[in-house]
Amino acid sequence: MEKQKKILRTLDRARLGERVTEKEWDQKIVPKTLKEVAKEFGLLGTCDPDNPINCDDELADRFFKAGWEAALRLGFFCPDTESVIKIDADELEREFKKVPGEFVVGQGAEQSHVVARRPEDPRPPIFCAPLSIQMDEELYIPLVEGIVSSRLVDMQEGPSLDTVFGSPLLADSPYETFAGIYEYHMRKEAQWRAGRVGMGNSLVSSASTHFGFLAAFNLYEQPQLCLCLNPASLKINYTTLHKCIVAYELGGVVRSESPTMISGYTGGPETTAIASIATDLLQYPMCGSALPGSPSYDIRYAGNCGRHGVWAQSIATQAITRNSNILQMKTINQVSGPMTEMFFLESIVGMTAASCSGQTFTISPRSAGGSKKNGLTPIECWFNAAVFKGAAGLSRADANRIVKEVIPKFENDLYDPPKGLTFRDLYDIPTLTPCKEYVDMYLKMRKYAEDLGITMPGDGILC
Amino acid sequence: MADYLTQIEAAVYDGDEDLVVELVEKALADGVDPEAIIQDGGVAALNRLGDDFNNMIAFLPELMIGGECMKKLIEMCSPHLQGGKSAFKGKIVIGCAKGDLHDIGKSLVATQLSINGYEVVDLGTDVPTNKFIDTAMAEKADIIAVSSLLTTSQYYMEELINRLSHEGKRDLFKVAVGGGPIGPEYAEKIGADGYSRTAALAVKMADRLLDKKPGDPLVSEV
Repeated sequence: MEKQKKILRTLDRARLGERVTEKEWDQKIVPKTLKEVAKEFGLLGTCDPDNPINCDDELADRFFKAGWEAALRLGFFCPDTESVIKIDADELEREFKKVPGEFVVGQGAEQSHVVARRPEDPRPPIFCAPLSIQMDEELYIPLVEGIVSSRLVDMQEGPSLDTVFGSPLLADSPYETFAGIYEYHMRKEAQWRAGRVGMGNSLVSSASTHFGFLAAFNLYEQPQLCLCLNPASLKINYTTLHKCIVAYELGGVVRSESPTMISGYTGGPETTAIASIATDLLQYPMCGSALPGSPSYDIRYAGNCGRHGVWAQSIATQAITRNSNILQMKTINQVSGPMTEMFFLESIVGMTAASCSGQTFTISPRSAGGSKKNGLTPIECWFNAAVFKGAAGLSRADANRIVKEVIPKFENDLYDPPKGLTFRDLYDIPTLTPCKEYVDMYLKMRKYAEDLGITMPGDGILC
Repeated sequence: MADYLTQIEAAVYDGDEDLVVELVEKALADGVDPEAIIQDGGVAALNRLGDDFNNMIAFLPELMIGGECMKKLIEMCSPHLQGGKSAFKGKIVIGCAKGDLHDIGKSLVATQLSINGYEVVDLGTDVPTNKFIDTAMAEKADIIAVSSLLTTSQYYMEELINRLSHEGKRDLFKVAVGGGPIGPEYAEKIGADGYSRTAALAVKMADRLLDKKPGDPLVSEV
């Protein structure tokens, strides 16, 4: 009940907080405050694109202090009430001490034990797959069966349904309510086929509003992850709070994601990193989230495997993982697609940086930036999982050497990336067999990652 | 005259709308060519902002505020142009499809259009289909532009086009679509007029859309 009371306090504050328009918040209050804080802590101009993975502990700690200050000065904006929800220093301090440093999801032998990691931590992080990439409904079960057949994949989140029994899955409609239930049945079938009954789930990926979640979360044996996607950093909305109240009643764990955009409202890489840290610090006090994640994407190409994206994400992650027990989750957004070497290169960079910076958990991939329907196969999921887990224990200096070698191979293509092929193009779906050309590329890129110094665990299917 | 234009350029670049209004009023009263105010004052400032955005010196808020200054500047100059014609290239009603709360991509497109001479009516996020139509009718818009990052919202694009057809309004507006999961194939499939992969390309797409005739193929900027 304590967490539900927390939500009620947040709702009360959302009704009674200072009123500002969203435009004022986005265009004036957030950029001005972040810039002021960055100046005060001497952080403007510290982004080093030549060394995308931060190796400076003092700098990471300074970012943490700046993020804390920004959290206090800004709070969260609630678009539903057009009000600012603030908490004071005492409350932030008090709540910070209560943040859970671990939790479990799923049942029995398939249960995942999620534990806070530190930079260069040798313990392998938890890998959840895939992100919400749109798939034809008839492909959902074979795709998921293929993905979770590998034990490199600890939990399932996506993909997203495109239709429900042929009808369009319209947001904010009863179609979404049905999609939550439909997805439940299909997950169960796919996980059973793969021999993964009891594995943890992040729910519900096929519904953008709360309807699908409210319809289906109670169908799953708990604990499971409640997926809350806030529209942006430093914001929290009623959709998230609806979900949290139900999740806590049923014994679920909340994962809340709120992206920051480099060059967007939060400004450059330094101020964006501060916004990301502030957002992650406020998630537990505001909604009891045990798994916050404020990833940073570069608005110029809508991904985060280029130099500025990697730097902002690495410094923000290290700030949190060096200075708190917060379980850190950030997503990696590849912009290239399946059956392109660029996809594997982006993944090596993003996953290596995340793992060595102390991330506990990620959900991946977002092949082709999530923009290519059916543009996802099990192979991208396994590759990402292997790098994420295999890079655990790498020093940040070694990881930085790796990404410096790999980024130049694709950075010129970030703005017009190859979107790749689809599940239908690359797999014999009835037998879940990938085509030879793709297997060859996968094994070649695994070998390349190993040659770079990443110990790639086998997927148990192809290697 | 050059002094006015330099000051107007700086005021637009700095996003100081009050100063822009004051300077444009004075410049017009002193007989400065309104076309020069637009080009050498406003457009020059926005080009500088655009370069700074690409080089990570300026960011989205500066671009948006600069775009608002430009809108004001054009509104003030238009009545003074030869024949009192509007200096806007066209009018665009833009928003995120119903259910979609992700505004940053849409805002970037709106800003790019605004700073490149379009009058933009931004309806924000989670916009119901009927609101797009009603606003476009009331504003006498040339283009309706719909963005969606969510697959569950993209169907509302198709619904918009179907509804326009059913109501006999399809030829009144060009419909442009874009966003994360949207590609030119989808745009073509639902019968949209235009598709743009990026915010920068949206300007080129809009320019081409204004000349598009009913039945012409999709204007696609990828």
